[in-house]
Amino acid sequence: MSELSLQTTPEQQRALERFYHYEARLLDARQYQQWLTLVSPDIRYLMPSRVNVMVDNRQRGKESMISVERELEGEDSLGCPIREESYLHLMVRVERAFKINSWSENPPARTRRIVGNVELMAQEGDALSVLSNFHLYYARPGNADCIYSGQRRDLLVPAEQGYSISRREVVMDYANIEVPTLGLLL
Amino acid sequence: MTLRISDLVNAEASLVSRRCWSDPDVYALEKRGIFGRSWLFLGHESQISNPGDFVQAYMAETPIILSRGTDARIYANVNSCTHRGLPVCRADHGNTKRFICPYHNWSYSVEGDLVAIPQEGALCNKPDKAQLGLKRVSRVESWRGLVFGCFDEQIEPLESYLGDMRFYLDAFLDRFAGGIEFLGAPHRWVINANWKLPVENQLGDVNHGAFLHSAIIPREAQDLIEELGLSVVPRPGHGATFRLMPEDSPVDDMAWGMEGLGGMFGGDEVQEYLREIQAQAASRVGDIRARMKGLTYGIYPNLSFLWSNTSFKVSHPRGPGKVEYWSWAVVPADAPDHIKKILRTNYSSFFGPGGILEQEDSEVWIQQFQGSNIDYADDRPYYYGLGLGEEKVHPELPGLVSVTANEFYARHFYARWRDELQAVEDT
Repeated sequence: MSELSLQTTPEQQRALERFYHYEARLLDARQYQQWLTLVSPDIRYLMPSRVNVMVDNRQRGKESMISVERELEGEDSLGCPIREESYLHLMVRVERAFKINSWSENPPARTRRIVGNVELMAQEGDALSVLSNFHLYYARPGNADCIYSGQRRDLLVPAEQGYSISRREVVMDYANIEVPTLGLLL
Repeated sequence: MTLRISDLVNAEASLVSRRCWSDPDVYALEKRGIFGRSWLFLGHESQISNPGDFVQAYMAETPIILSRGTDARIYANVNSCTHRGLPVCRADHGNTKRFICPYHNWSYSVEGDLVAIPQEGALCNKPDKAQLGLKRVSRVESWRGLVFGCFDEQIEPLESYLGDMRFYLDAFLDRFAGGIEFLGAPHRWVINANWKLPVENQLGDVNHGAFLHSAIIPREAQDLIEELGLSVVPRPGHGATFRLMPEDSPVDDMAWGMEGLGGMFGGDEVQEYLREIQAQAASRVGDIRARMKGLTYGIYPNLSFLWSNTSFKVSHPRGPGKVEYWSWAVVPADAPDHIKKILRTNYSSFFGPGGILEQEDSEVWIQQFQGSNIDYADDRPYYYGLGLGEEKVHPELPGLVSVTANEFYARHFYARWRDELQAVEDT
């Protein structure tokens, strides 16, 4: 994805950002049940694993030598992505959050997301390919506070609340995973 | 040190001092007495099937390169240059002819031999390269494709070290005509806990499921696990837990893989595939082992196998209070690729760094480590006495056998741990 994003109208750009800001606010306010209404029933929710790969000598001098894509073991690879989920998985995660015995969220984490760099990369019919970056501050009693950083690669379709997320791939920035869990709704 | 190991674990290992998990002196002893003298898991042969293939591994804190030589043999070398100590391998896995140190370009073959010193051309006295290869791991052996290394030349052969644990491992490993395959690079994450806490959890602690995981595991499912579940200690330090299914159980209740989210919702083709494996199980592993539906296993000191969700895990210590936890999804090697991709989610949905279930476990290990640091409570060792003396021999299953509520798996582990540390504490 080395090309510029699509030319958008200020209204279209605003609509995308409005949607992501709303989504971030719901998640930080722990309104996960409402968040789930932003998700399409056929969603693919993915998080590739991130690997330290060998430098390929033949790629020397080219951007492909150190491309991020080479580091990802995603759904098409025969590695093991960290998450490959459907609506059902997300539903289980949301239901779990509202049980008093989900101990790793009792007391729940305090989070704050900043979502930015929203870029509309492609449009096919109704479906929009959108990139966004996020930083998330995460604090839980008994644990050291930490920062989550990553990129989201979404497929959005227009819906009542702006859009519906029909595919999300979350590319996390980590070497070793030092955060308590990658099971958050990101 | 003033601390004596005999003060930490009582005779029957039913009381274990908090310091076992928190004391830096105990950890220093463990590095010599446990990690210096045990078979440690390095990887699986499926990861290095071709000459030149390598993966990174660790033996406790020591970085290791596990590789397949040009002679097709398996090599394990310490990943540290003989010249100035830098790692000569930086990738998680790959295929190469040479490992090259970035500092002065000393180059090593995939077997670990030193092949080039760029500086020597300018010098009269040439170093003897044969003496300067990467430090080799003293012993490397594999069994059923699982590769282990040991720093101690004198250790017993791997097969006798595993002992009757092989009977239980084979109940899974030998089900598949083509063997198993480890998928991709391991998931590796850092947990602020002692290395023995994840190990103990997987070694036989089935009965925390009903409580810690009650947000996900329904009570009825856990009741069934405990009703059919058996806990076995084939040799002190190792452990196996599984359900022994009644002979008339429907195939879908008995078959491996059906109870994961991939098996449950992955479609008819995957389910047919799993039924087919189960149909061959009795002829491959015998009647009683065909009825085993696995839970968790532990291989002393720090390898775990989560059969129910098909993952191998290693708890690598990084000091007394930190673990680098590694885990891999495992699938039948000869499954079609699209089925492998569904079966790997049996692991990743619930376990690993993003798993729905495992986040509760790592939370517990962190808090348990914090509890183990409370020195005011040194006179309150942890109680490991549940089921003391209730384990028995079984007519068909090797080792000592009991219900899953019996904590004998942990008593045997800590008794062995105590004895091995005592053997080195005055040396």
